[in-house]
Amino acid sequence: MADEKTLVKENPYTQTHVVESGETLGKIAKKYYGDASLYNQIFEANRDVLKDPNKIFPGQTLRIP
Amino acid sequence: MKKQLTWLMAALMAMVIIGCSNQKGAAEQAVAGAESALSAVRDTAQKYVPDQLAATDAQLAAVKESLAKGDYKGVLAGVPPLNTAIGALKESAAAKASEAEAAMAKAKDAWGSTSAEVPKMVAAIQSRVDILSKSHHLPAGVTKDALANAKSGLETIKTAWSEAMNSASSGAYSAAMSKAAAVKEQATALAQSLGMPSG
Repeated sequence: MADEKTLVKENPYTQTHVVESGETLGKIAKKYYGDASLYNQIFEANRDVLKDPNKIFPGQTLRIP
Repeated sequence: MKKQLTWLMAALMAMVIIGCSNQKGAAEQAVAGAESALSAVRDTAQKYVPDQLAATDAQLAAVKESLAKGDYKGVLAGVPPLNTAIGALKESAAAKASEAEAAMAKAKDAWGSTSAEVPKMVAAIQSRVDILSKSHHLPAGVTKDALANAKSGLETIKTAWSEAMNSASSGAYSAAMSKAAAVKEQATALAQSLGMPSG
């Protein structure tokens, strides 16, 4: 799983988000994009660590493109 | 007695003529030497200390004017301070050239990391702008104006970055770094306006 340090090394200007308990990609998309339907943007940017957009876990660090 | 006086007058005239001729030769030689010394430093001085060069040129012009008027005594009095000024000009120009070389080397070093960093910065902002453009509602803290400004700002940044890269590819690293600093400042402001971290 890519941790924050690795993601920052990839591109220090790409925002990251550490998943909290009870969060979904939709909630995260709503927070950063104002629109939950854009959850797929986050899913696609994290295909290396996410196999299913409905399965994210607390503590995972995700890229927020 | 009259014959002796004539010889004496002739001898005196000859001494005066020889004296004047010697002074003229010395004056011409001194001016030529100063001109040659100034010529050797002119290009560097023109680039790094043009004002000081102009002042030294004025001193040289004054000495040459004295020479043209036949004021050899004035020339011989004016050349030593002129030579001092040329020496000072040479030192100033060399010091400035050395400073410029050091600044260029420093900028060249810095360009390596900057040229890798700025495109990442631009890519991150571009990605966010593209996604926000698809959003039906913007996130808290991001206004429609901010998004519109970010779109146009990105184009400005890309143009400025292209100019910075052109400067670097032509070896003008100081200019490239100066342009890159402006790009980074603009990009940081854009990122913040979109609610992104600024790196």
